[in-house]
Amino acid sequence: MDVLLSPLAGLQMDFGALPQQLVNGILIGSIYALIALGYTMVYGVLRLINFAHGEVFMIGCYAALFTSWAMGFTATGMQAAKPPTSNIVTLLIMLFVSMAVCSLVGVTIERFAYRPMRNQSRIASLITAIGVSLLLQFGGQLFLPPLQQNIQAEVNPFRDTISLTLRQAPASLKQEFKTASLAQKAAEERLAELAPPGALTSELSPEALEVRERLSELTIKSNSLRAQVNDASVFVVIQKGKLIMFAAALVLMIILRHIVLKTATGRAMRAVNHDFQSASLMGVNVNRVITYTFMIGSALAGAGAMMNSTFEGTAITPFAGVALGVKAFVAAVLGGIGNIPGAVLGGILMGVAESLVVWVGLSGYKDAIAFVILIVILLFRPGGLLGSSAVEKV
Amino acid sequence: MKIWVVRILSIIGTLVAVFGFEFFMRGLVAQDQSLDYIYRLAVLAGLFVTLAVSLNLINGITGQFSIGHASFYMVGAYAGATLTNSLYKIQPLGPETWLFVVALGGAVAAGIAGLIVGLHSLRLKGDYLAIVTLGFGEIIRIIVFNQPFLGGSFGLNIADKNDKSLWAVLLLAILCIAVCRNLCQTPHGLAFLAVREDEVASSAMGVNVTRVKVTAFIVGSAFAGAAGALLGVYDGLITPDTFRMDVSFLILTMVVLGGTGSITGSVIAALLLFSIPEWPRFMVEGGKPWQVTGATLLAGAICLIVSVYLVKRTIDEYHGPQRTKTLRIVGIVGGGIIGTVLLGTVFGLIPVLANRTWDVGALRMVFLAVTLIVLMLIRPQGIFGHEEFGWQKAMKALRFGKPGANPT
Repeated sequence: MDVLLSPLAGLQMDFGALPQQLVNGILIGSIYALIALGYTMVYGVLRLINFAHGEVFMIGCYAALFTSWAMGFTATGMQAAKPPTSNIVTLLIMLFVSMAVCSLVGVTIERFAYRPMRNQSRIASLITAIGVSLLLQFGGQLFLPPLQQNIQAEVNPFRDTISLTLRQAPASLKQEFKTASLAQKAAEERLAELAPPGALTSELSPEALEVRERLSELTIKSNSLRAQVNDASVFVVIQKGKLIMFAAALVLMIILRHIVLKTATGRAMRAVNHDFQSASLMGVNVNRVITYTFMIGSALAGAGAMMNSTFEGTAITPFAGVALGVKAFVAAVLGGIGNIPGAVLGGILMGVAESLVVWVGLSGYKDAIAFVILIVILLFRPGGLLGSSAVEKV
Repeated sequence: MKIWVVRILSIIGTLVAVFGFEFFMRGLVAQDQSLDYIYRLAVLAGLFVTLAVSLNLINGITGQFSIGHASFYMVGAYAGATLTNSLYKIQPLGPETWLFVVALGGAVAAGIAGLIVGLHSLRLKGDYLAIVTLGFGEIIRIIVFNQPFLGGSFGLNIADKNDKSLWAVLLLAILCIAVCRNLCQTPHGLAFLAVREDEVASSAMGVNVTRVKVTAFIVGSAFAGAAGALLGVYDGLITPDTFRMDVSFLILTMVVLGGTGSITGSVIAALLLFSIPEWPRFMVEGGKPWQVTGATLLAGAICLIVSVYLVKRTIDEYHGPQRTKTLRIVGIVGGGIIGTVLLGTVFGLIPVLANRTWDVGALRMVFLAVTLIVLMLIRPQGIFGHEEFGWQKAMKALRFGKPGANPT
């Protein structure tokens, strides 16, 4: 047992870093939520775990990558005399292409792989889903660029950060730091007067040597004071792009909520989710509803893919969908599979849980936490967090 | 009295066959060192048969949807490796007998893991149980990944490996098949089948559902653990990456593809699915792997889609005599192959398609995926469904076309 618990000895809980980790978790959680929505919607109407959903996400990443290449954001393009500049329109085009490609792929998979299996046992559909997932991974390996790719960082025009201070350092400490840095600056200027830059030590006057020595002392002091100020204050640094990502994810979820609750299609989806047989008897065109479900779910995955690879800068490989797909699936189960608000909640909880594990210092177990939470949830509340019948399901 | 004679004869026959095969393979390897690879494939095939049949006991015969079988395989492998590393030097047994000890150790460790998972199966059903078993597998893998004393991500070395252990692997596979087959023919086994068909009804009829489920999990995972232990001792190195989720999916696929509940189905599907990705490795021409052009690939894909569509339509909608139906399917498949060749030649005239080539080895996993989808589309209940293909069926098949000739 000692050996198993050995990593716990290295726990480090720096409460000053907690808000930053929580914010990171919520931001990445919004992406998990977008992908989890696809799993949960498909499970809601078909009772099928769509294992190929992670691969739809992967295709969305590549769609975004190729779109950015088509607009000139290649490695060579960025070194050209006049590199392309990115703005919100570029991002919207990438988002649109990614979503469109993903919905097409999702609908195709449903039409040709899942629909012929609909009257068969569920495990047969599950195996087909695994087959489609393998086909997309290894087929992708044949046709897609061989190495791992990244979308050029320049595509994201919102790379500057905003910083939010939650707790100021004590005024006396800050004052001390200010004085120290002023003194350091003064010494630097004095040294520049006495000695030309790049001068050798042997050429320096004794006074310049003395100033140089004092300068190095002052630098050490001001650096240590800066570290102290940073330790004493609590702040959160967020890249603006990630905030936009979060906002876009929220907007997409609100649109989804509108579709599900306020439109005829959404009503049909809810009906099919409630009872497949009766819905078709009541004149709901089940095939069309399922097509719409796949279309919407895959489009959300496409949006998540584009934003994840652009704003988070995650590397793209033909196997990128596996890990993220599993996490999103766990998020869907966590919230109660088949339940839309549950998927959002589950996704964000997953993101937060992961960053908490990293915060505690067990980053090796980052991928395991998903499953630990999952098993605990399933054992004590098998329907998931929001999985009771009182909540609106799709 | 007679049954015992048959039993003893079949045991002797099995032993003779297993050791005969072992000596044959050793002779091959002694003649040509490069055939070592074939020996390895035989070992892995035997292990996959064990895995598929043992998962079939949980999934097919008892109906508990478990998709984390690789975790039991892994527990067994690490238990066997630890056992060998710590005790091999001081044991008085020979390396051959040691294989039994290792297999037993792996089986016990994995059986305990199976007990833990099996207890969960009492509360969970269907998809949810599947998800828990999947999660259990991943948790175990990640824990091992982070344990320096188990080698972490680099894996665990086994200094005293035994790379002549095909016979033990085969014996394990046959033992596993025998246990599952005989179980299904005893009253105990009927309880397992009853739980699969209807849990509530069987418990009303006095079946101890809890005991049946937990037993199935323990027995199934113990066999997987023994297989893992033998893998570790054979390979001399085990890494957490050997036991990823894909392996679980592959084993599950073997079970479903063979027909859930059919032991012969599992064996045949295991051999089939294990060998499909290996065939391309042997397709060499003048020392170089075969090259597949884009033209052939495109033509193959088009013909495959068309012929799968036609075959499925024939199976579903053709109501003529069986013989005509079979002939039609054969005709469609043949037409597909001829069509591939013709279309491939035509597409070969297009330079873009003709110039892009791949090694056939790069396509191996794609072949696997396509086979999976196609077989599932054409025959969703698996190759054998719930049926077994035993001696009686074989006899019947041999006297094909002479109804009434079979007295049974």
